Amino acid sequence: MKAYEQSGEHTPMGAYLSRRSFLRTASLATTGGILGGLVGCGGSSSGGSAASDAGELNLFIWTEYVPESVLQSFQDETGITVNVSYYSTNEDLYAKLRSETEGTYDIVQPSDYMVAKLIAQDMLEPLDTGGLENFSNIGSSYLGMSYDPDNAYSVPYMVAMAGLAYNSSMVDKPIEGYADLFDPAYENSILVLDDARCVIGITNLVLGHDASTTDPDELAAAADKLMTMKKNVKIFDSDNAKASLISGDCAIAYNWNAELVLASREVPDIEYVYPSEGAIINEDNWCIAKGAANYDNAMKFIDYILRPEVSAACSEELPYVNPNMAALDILGSEYTDNEALNPTPDQMASCVYIDNLSVDAQASYEEIWTSFKK
Amino acid sequence: MGKRLRGETLAAFTMVAPAALWLFVFVAVPLIYVLGLSFCGQDEFGNAVFEFTTKNYANLLNADYLQIYLRSVLIAGATTALCVAVGYPFAYIIARTSSRHKSVFYMLVIIPFWTNSLVRVYGWKTFFSGTGWLSSVLMGLGLIDAPIDLLYTTPMTVFGMVYCLFPYMVLPLYSAIEKLDGSLIEASADLGARRSETFLRVILPLTSSGIFSGSIMVFIPCLGYFFVSDILGGGNADMIGNLIERQFQSANNWPLGAALSIMLILITIVLVRAYQRMGGDMDALGV
Amino acid sequence: MTLSKRGRTVRNAIYCVLVYLFLFLPIAVVVAGSFNATESRPYLTWKGFSLMWYQRLFDGSQAALMEAFGHTMLIALTSTLLSTVIGTLVAVGMYRYRFRGKALIDALLYVPVVIPEIVMGISLLVLFAQAQVPRGMLTLVIAHTTFCIPFVVFNVRARLAGYDVSVEEASLDLGANRVQTFWNITVPVLAPGIGAGALLAFTLSIDDVIISYFVNGKTSVFPLKVMESIKMGVPPSVNALSAILLLFTVIFVVLTQSDLLSRHRSE
Repeated sequence: MKAYEQSGEHTPMGAYLSRRSFLRTASLATTGGILGGLVGCGGSSSGGSAASDAGELNLFIWTEYVPESVLQSFQDETGITVNVSYYSTNEDLYAKLRSETEGTYDIVQPSDYMVAKLIAQDMLEPLDTGGLENFSNIGSSYLGMSYDPDNAYSVPYMVAMAGLAYNSSMVDKPIEGYADLFDPAYENSILVLDDARCVIGITNLVLGHDASTTDPDELAAAADKLMTMKKNVKIFDSDNAKASLISGDCAIAYNWNAELVLASREVPDIEYVYPSEGAIINEDNWCIAKGAANYDNAMKFIDYILRPEVSAACSEELPYVNPNMAALDILGSEYTDNEALNPTPDQMASCVYIDNLSVDAQASYEEIWTSFKK
Repeated sequence: MGKRLRGETLAAFTMVAPAALWLFVFVAVPLIYVLGLSFCGQDEFGNAVFEFTTKNYANLLNADYLQIYLRSVLIAGATTALCVAVGYPFAYIIARTSSRHKSVFYMLVIIPFWTNSLVRVYGWKTFFSGTGWLSSVLMGLGLIDAPIDLLYTTPMTVFGMVYCLFPYMVLPLYSAIEKLDGSLIEASADLGARRSETFLRVILPLTSSGIFSGSIMVFIPCLGYFFVSDILGGGNADMIGNLIERQFQSANNWPLGAALSIMLILITIVLVRAYQRMGGDMDALGV
Repeated sequence: MTLSKRGRTVRNAIYCVLVYLFLFLPIAVVVAGSFNATESRPYLTWKGFSLMWYQRLFDGSQAALMEAFGHTMLIALTSTLLSTVIGTLVAVGMYRYRFRGKALIDALLYVPVVIPEIVMGISLLVLFAQAQVPRGMLTLVIAHTTFCIPFVVFNVRARLAGYDVSVEEASLDLGANRVQTFWNITVPVLAPGIGAGALLAFTLSIDDVIISYFVNGKTSVFPLKVMESIKMGVPPSVNALSAILLLFTVIFVVLTQSDLLSRHRSE
């Protein structure tokens, strides 16, 4: 211990020296930083000049769901400055919307069951669809859903279908349904959505139960069943599955259809599959958040997206199931005949929605999820 | 004299009050809030409501969570051990070199700091991915036939943690080793000690302060770095940080997240106490 | 195994090169990526050499990224300034005066340094949510200032060790007022410590991910922009911006090198 104390005596000088050299180096970065800062400010002020007249619009939307080019062209046409923040699951949206003060976001993009939850909590502004010129473009089968029977709060944007894809050069036999994800043959080769409801949901389906079951025995069965998939899962990703599919980091992916389709366009060996158990789908909607500071701009934006050519542009870049009938006319048969982009009526009938759950049931799902991801 | 004394009081107040107030409002109060929140329940929508309950703490004993804590501690321990193992010889070499370029060597450790840590971690991901640099080069050289698979594993998470936290180990080690008095090493050798003896009995005890402060600065942050295991670990080896992050985001269970945070604070306190016992200087952690 | 002195030198050099390779390899990957001519996500396939992403940083097409970067700089400068003033004052005050509650202030100073950032982040989130403070620039500056203050204090304090308060007494006796004394006597002596603390604060602020993640609201900052783009595929513009920053750092390191070496020797 004596030796240690002795070292203490040397502290000031040694520490001083290292601080000194740290200081030198750090000062350089500051100068660089300030220069950078000026550049940054220059950039933002030029972008902001048009904003003063037309105001702004704050979007809180899914990652990679609305093409940047479309947001840019809306900005160019209207002069409204669009600020975008992203989320990756409905639950993320809810938590953030809940914790932020009202008026932070103007537009949010919840899926079906989340619309119901937000309405129930008075977190949305009523939305007068009569004021939207292009509302009639939406196909009637996508309107009046149980979560918002009169579309008093929501306007459909796209339907994301959680399908499967596999790289035929990496697996021996074709993948057919969700049950294949549990096959021990696929150890450490699967990518799944980082989404508790979607992954536990398909486990319920494979067991022949309701995707949103709250029955304790069925959930216990799901928890056990899910653990048999644990070894197979290599990556959890809700945002960029195509990158891992393309790079060959996974052989099979359970993900949103557009991601899978985009990957299959890049790599011919990648095949899209509509799962035999029925795909879980999210019908995603435009909603206006309670206390939105830019209500009129929000309505303008929704109407803009509903335009056939704009909606078609969205589908071209990010190919989801498009409920905009006028857009489908533009996209043509190449789009409408592709069941990965436009499911057949049979498939559509077998699609599964996720239900809103009570806090306790939600907690059970969360427990299973934690156990799965641990 | 009375005037000066009053002046003293005013001066003392002016100097200390802003920081005291700031730290109280933005450090003490938030932590008190977190403590309070950890005893809250949830309403039907999952929002925190005050109703004194200890169920969040009872939940912490859930076997799955215990496994996550254990893994976190193991990952943080492995990270710290690797940082010491790789960093000590390195810091020793650059701190005791007689080269004129010593300061360059030192600065080369700091320069990576100015590239955002996420950007650098992503750089590794690009490097190791199936179509990444490493596989391409090795395949190009004919050393391997198929891309090698390194991403999305726990060792990869440890690798990323070591990478992010390595400088925090090297800098205190460097300070400690640099102030080591060379004549002591010579004296030890003159007295007939073998090199290993000199290292164990002279060098190591004299530089242990650097190891201690470096370890604190690596181990504790490691428990909370959720983004590394998300990016390089593929999200399938959760750590405490991921668990807490999820409670405040998708799981929307703030009371549980608060209880988990309190536990993390307790772990921190235990470690810092141990550090102080071993004679660690608290200020060394911030310099 | 015994190596000759020369052999040891070679071995040490190889070891250091390997460590530096470890530190700089991902940066090399990032810089290389900035020259990729790719147009489409996830921007991983090499499509040839191009400077187009550098050009795009300045033609307005990367407005969101540049705006986030501007925010980061603004927050870093503001919180560095605030934390330097507050931290220097309290460091000197605590060195010079005895008062009740000193130990408590000391304890509060250590908290942001030792607790994991995620705890700091969520505690501030809870505070701001409870107090209904909209998250944004203000909360980011508050959060960054909070975790920067201790680093300023510790650096100033290290410089204070051995500082003789009687110099200040002399200044007061000679008729200078307290502000003059502080500014003309105290600050110059402490300048290196204040500078080191400020620069450390700046560095920590621009790199912070975790605390910003919880208190940013919808205000975008550079590290979070990077986090977001990692989810979707990092556009080479992020690489280009990082490369430019790195270039600035390296240029200035080289420029000040001679100065630093001479100082090193004089010590």
